[in-house]
Amino acid sequence: MMQSIHNRELVAFHGGNFPIRGTYHRASNEQAGVQKPGRLGVIFLNSLSLPRTATGDSSAEWADALAECGYPCFRVDLPGLGDSEGDLPADLLSYINGGGFAPAASSVAKEITERFDLAGVVLVGHCAGAVSAVLAAAKASECKGLILMDVYFHLPQAVRPKFRQYLSNWALKSAPGRMASNLYDRLRRLRLRVQANRLPENANLPLLRCWKQVASSGQPILMLKAPARKAIGTKARVGEFDYLQYALKTAGPQSQVIVKFAEGTDHSFANRLGRAAVRQEMGSWLEAFFPAACPAGKGTVSPISGSPVRARPSKEVVVMTSSST
Amino acid sequence: MKSPEYVSDHKSLSLLEEPGYLEFPGAQLYAVLHSTPHPLARVLLTGPFASERQNSYLPWVRWARYLAARGMEVLRYDYRGVGESPGRFEEMTFKDWREDVQLLAEWLANRTPALPLILHGLEIGALLATHCFEAGMADAMLLWSPPSSANQALRSTLLRWAGLEQLLKPDAERTTAADYIRQLEQGSAVEVEGYRWSPQLWQESFDWKMPAGFRELHQETGQGNRAVRIVDLPRKAAPLVKGGFVGYDEVKNFDWLFTEEASWIAARAADCLEVRR
Repeated sequence: MMQSIHNRELVAFHGGNFPIRGTYHRASNEQAGVQKPGRLGVIFLNSLSLPRTATGDSSAEWADALAECGYPCFRVDLPGLGDSEGDLPADLLSYINGGGFAPAASSVAKEITERFDLAGVVLVGHCAGAVSAVLAAAKASECKGLILMDVYFHLPQAVRPKFRQYLSNWALKSAPGRMASNLYDRLRRLRLRVQANRLPENANLPLLRCWKQVASSGQPILMLKAPARKAIGTKARVGEFDYLQYALKTAGPQSQVIVKFAEGTDHSFANRLGRAAVRQEMGSWLEAFFPAACPAGKGTVSPISGSPVRARPSKEVVVMTSSST
Repeated sequence: MKSPEYVSDHKSLSLLEEPGYLEFPGAQLYAVLHSTPHPLARVLLTGPFASERQNSYLPWVRWARYLAARGMEVLRYDYRGVGESPGRFEEMTFKDWREDVQLLAEWLANRTPALPLILHGLEIGALLATHCFEAGMADAMLLWSPPSSANQALRSTLLRWAGLEQLLKPDAERTTAADYIRQLEQGSAVEVEGYRWSPQLWQESFDWKMPAGFRELHQETGQGNRAVRIVDLPRKAAPLVKGGFVGYDEVKNFDWLFTEEASWIAARAADCLEVRR
């Protein structure tokens, strides 16, 4: 069996008892034999239990596009996920939220930096993968930037009681259910105000501490947000604690956090609009903060060949950079 | 603090797993070979349709390891244009994916022709495996939840996906499964879980059926020469089959399913070896 085709190569990293499997997308300048010093790699982490290709193979497409623009990209399967061996706890979500994958992710970041002679890496995570990315970034000095897609800072219930599931379905599917849901939202908003907007009990405090540590250090961070049910733009749903605003406040004056809202997509970012938006935003952000990696004449991430879809202009909701603060 | 319950499929076993790309005329396929020192048989796993791959990947890989730990050499792979296999999904046809099964079955069989070859297909993979088996390939075949046609599988994927989409969108933006089917029948492509279904794929799916009488013929036997076993997996087998929520956060133990199915494979491998002697 061959280990590489076109710009892709199968790679393995040290992962304790078993190797961590991954796919390396060689940068276009590397293939041409031109390697600029100080270049950065981009590592894509698994989203929850998905294999390293992600929904609709979107991660593979993004990695191809960024590699074309000069950034070596790595999609890895963390231990027990995808093609990597390893035991997983039955409650995977709690394991991830508790930082279960952070040691492996930071160890991979270190190994990739050394093995591929990089100046550092940018970690990319989606949903639960974004949680692992923040927790790993706090441990790995090799991590120079973060791209977080629909990151969350609370501890969701892994398995909701049957009655709650039934109630949610009723609220979604019927008109009286929707009215009851709106009323419930307003009551929750009232409660939030009474509690003076303090952090909810299910806040992931260790994660918020890591976030503060990483963001306040001035590390560039791109946060991408997809439309969510009953939420407008990046604002939280009525009655829900606005973790994003909280995270931005705690990031401090040195932070370089950019939040972008990707319209027309869903939580997976895997439809054509979502893919195009992510590709465009990641490319522009990398060029702005880590331009050394871009080869001459390849300043922008081009749309995938044959694809007529271009991203809708994302709404830049919050920009916190050292220059603007 | 209570230590978490771990789901393990390879207790202290040193497994050999070799991922790689296999090159054939017109196709490059990503595959993972699960080796074992003295294999009893070879098993080719033909997985579900593209949109189901991401959900079923974890238990599917664990099934491959489960078999390898019990003396089977297992090959699993990604169809061309899907997952790690290169190519554009929207340009692929069922004929291409059927050819993938054949090419890999031949590749696996040629590694050591003396050993029996067993095909195991899940969902659309079961349909594709059946077409190869009918053409004389392999010594036995295990099918999990084979649809009556590829269209039935696509339709159920679309129904589930459109249902989830509807839950998350406001009334004005909702598109029903029937609307998507109408779009496909009128010649427009539709995106389902990140894959672009072409109207050609939809039309072609009607022609890929289980051979007439195949299920009835093999429903009861499951033994003898070129044995076939057909199992319709229950809902609790999600995410191997459709059911529950997308984005599974629970790592399930599938021993209740794997034990019996692996025993059947081992028994058929023993039958085949006996006949060959």
